[in-house]
Amino acid sequence: MKLEKGVLLTCDPAVKQILLMLNNRQPFILQDLDEFHVVIKAELEAWVRSQLETELEKNTYNLE
Amino acid sequence: MDVVELESDDEDDYNENVPTSKSLVPRGATINISALTRKLAQERTVGGSQGQDKLMSHIFMDQDFSWLHLKPDHASRPLWISPEDGHIILEAFSPIAEQAQDFLVAISEPVSRPTFIHEYKLTSYSLYAAVSVGLQTEDIIEVLNRLSKVPLPETIVSFIRTCTLSYGKIKLVLKHNKYFVESAHPDILQSLLKDSIIRSARVVSARDDSSTVTTFTTSKAPVKGNLVIPGTKEAEKSKDDLRSAIGVKDDNLFTSVVGTENDEIDEDDDNVHAFQIDDTKIDDVKKRCNELEMPVLEEYDFRNDPDNANLDIDLKPATVIRPYQETSLSKMFGNGRARSGIIVLPCGAGKTLVGITAACTIKKSCLVLCTSSVSVMQWRQQFMQWSNVTDRQIAVFTADQKEKFAGESGIVVSTYSMVANTHNRSYEAKKMMDFLTSREWGFILLDEVHVVPAAMFRKVVTTIKAHAKLGLTATLVREDDKIADLNYMIGPKLYEANWMDLAAKGHIANVQCAEVWCEMSPEFYGEYLKCESRRRMLLYCMNPRKFQACQFLIDYHERRGDKIIVFSDNVYALQAYARKLNKPFIHGGTGQTERMNILGHFQNNPAVSTIFLSKVGDTSIDLPEATCLIQISSHFGSRRQEAQRLGRILRAKRRNDEGFNAFFYSLVSKDTQEMYYSTKRQQFLIDQGYAFKVITHLEGLEQMSSLVYKSTDERIELLNAVMMENESSADLGTDVRASEGDLAGTVTSKDFGRLPGGGRAKRTTGSMAALSGGQHMSYVEQNKSANRKLAKAPAPERHKIFMRKQRDEQAARKAQKK
Repeated sequence: MKLEKGVLLTCDPAVKQILLMLNNRQPFILQDLDEFHVVIKAELEAWVRSQLETELEKNTYNLE
Repeated sequence: MDVVELESDDEDDYNENVPTSKSLVPRGATINISALTRKLAQERTVGGSQGQDKLMSHIFMDQDFSWLHLKPDHASRPLWISPEDGHIILEAFSPIAEQAQDFLVAISEPVSRPTFIHEYKLTSYSLYAAVSVGLQTEDIIEVLNRLSKVPLPETIVSFIRTCTLSYGKIKLVLKHNKYFVESAHPDILQSLLKDSIIRSARVVSARDDSSTVTTFTTSKAPVKGNLVIPGTKEAEKSKDDLRSAIGVKDDNLFTSVVGTENDEIDEDDDNVHAFQIDDTKIDDVKKRCNELEMPVLEEYDFRNDPDNANLDIDLKPATVIRPYQETSLSKMFGNGRARSGIIVLPCGAGKTLVGITAACTIKKSCLVLCTSSVSVMQWRQQFMQWSNVTDRQIAVFTADQKEKFAGESGIVVSTYSMVANTHNRSYEAKKMMDFLTSREWGFILLDEVHVVPAAMFRKVVTTIKAHAKLGLTATLVREDDKIADLNYMIGPKLYEANWMDLAAKGHIANVQCAEVWCEMSPEFYGEYLKCESRRRMLLYCMNPRKFQACQFLIDYHERRGDKIIVFSDNVYALQAYARKLNKPFIHGGTGQTERMNILGHFQNNPAVSTIFLSKVGDTSIDLPEATCLIQISSHFGSRRQEAQRLGRILRAKRRNDEGFNAFFYSLVSKDTQEMYYSTKRQQFLIDQGYAFKVITHLEGLEQMSSLVYKSTDERIELLNAVMMENESSADLGTDVRASEGDLAGTVTSKDFGRLPGGGRAKRTTGSMAALSGGQHMSYVEQNKSANRKLAKAPAPERHKIFMRKQRDEQAARKAQKK
């Protein structure tokens, strides 16, 4: 039996699309549950969070 | 956690105590109370109660001004001045904020004016402007000090002194079509001529070229008289009455300081000295003088100018100008002479009327320059409407029309590019230009000054000899920050209206701004992430959730009885939305008759309360009926476009109804670039005090029965259609072709700020059959444009005889076929 530690991510549909895109670069999704939930590898959670952050930050306007 | 901060300061001597345990014990745990008490004790000996300030100091870094001590009664004083850059922060909720604002507007430039805290900036230009309306250096310092929570920083005091004391010593005047630098003090002129740039610009006339720089032309100084701006309430009274009236009305210090008093700028000296400078180097000289902190004063004493013929125009008796227009003009004519500068008023607040009133006050030949040939005609029409100028006195100079006015003086309306263009002139245009350059103009009116490129401006300013210049604009912002040039090319900002104030007084409509966040549907967002940027634009415009939000808002506001304009820069999206939601639309390709028909219906037909407009509607279409505006696609981060669009509903007819609000919605697709642009666009309006509400969820959207794109299948179908679309349909404003003579940055150009360039030809690859149209499928139009359904004007009734004749002919033809 193979055991892998996973984390359940709850997100909105748009973020899920970004996750899917990131997954193409480096696979980390264990199970794609539905529009709002995915299970990802536990050890990559921090990495995924930071990647997601930079991706979303691109669309934010800052005063200088 | 603070403890860690403290400890790190004297790390060196502390490490000696615990050399080994560092790796094992977390740092926070190694701190003992003794280190903390030692530190605190040190501070107590140094500064007593100020220890608290020091604790906070590191947070503010360079901006730590805790050394500025508050005055004991600081709570009742409304402002604070930064000693470093001259920014003034004003508490707009203070009871005396209104007077303080009047004062601050006179001496500084407004930066940002939201509801509670305002920000102003002291600049040398604003201080020059303050002095030129008659404020005294000591008064400025005293009032500022009185209003300030902290004693006025020394840096600011000296800044004000240097800026104000050198002001007004030298003047630039136009005499007999030649420019002279004039001053009552010959020594100042001498020192100016020591500067190489200014010396090189000097024109030494033939008779004194043997002598040295010491000779100046000397003449009598002008004497001032009385002036009344027409159209103002006090127009009948003389100016002195007006002044004393102001003085009596508010004996308050702040306003009486603002009210123009002393204007004795070297008036007591009988003789003025001058030297002539080269026309083409005017700009350099002005710029250089500013750098030398000796700004040249450009004033036109138009009532004592017998050389130029008077133009007999006046405002029509029925024309009444509003208080703020009066204020802005009084800044211009503050001392009985015309001062050059820029007046900033919101869209729809009557900039044109300000310009016309100024022209009617000066009563000399006047040249009006605007950005496109459409506005040329508008200006001409406005002149005819508000003033008693006759047809013969006003002329138009565009690519199609080249007229001259009859008589000695008159008004010419033209575009910047017609005047600045140097090559490829037709014979008539050249003759017209000679006419324009050969004469002296009393007044030059520059419309929409913010869009004109610096080079073109320089050209205009140097070729046309005008005594006074007035720039008008609503949005003194440029994405490329070339505003600073305007300061010396035209003059300082004379007046900037407070949008919120005008709205509160009912001159412009009250607007509720909202940004509606529409989630991207998963299918669209998936594609969005895969695509490159141009198609991305199309995807976020065509987001089905945006369709739904748009439909919902239209439905909601139609039921409230609002008249709605929907804006989209992207023509493909415009058509798709309008067809799907079954509403009429207008874009650049819409024919003139169809356009008039649709606009007529929008204005008069209660059944048509929504229209879709492309970029064409940004400025050239005036619809005072509209009370609600929805924006679905826009020009990237253009702050000016946002302000212009808001301007469409600012002049709403119903603005004075009790509790009336106009609505401005911006639909934005969440998690896309649009969010970035949208925030950037809003900056200008936010600085004017508008607050954008963010709507993340439209209540009742799901319950709507006829909601479009409800099912996933429909959405995927839409997505496919979008993906099939040619990439070029993502371009913005493709429907509006720039006509010759229009400027970059106006509605008709695709780029805001950049110069137009590149060919208009489109290159596509395709098979021979495709290019000849052979591959086109024949189709039936299912989703017809709502434009067609609008009732056309009924066809004229035909006479019975012709009807019968036609019927007979048809019958005969049928019979023949059989």
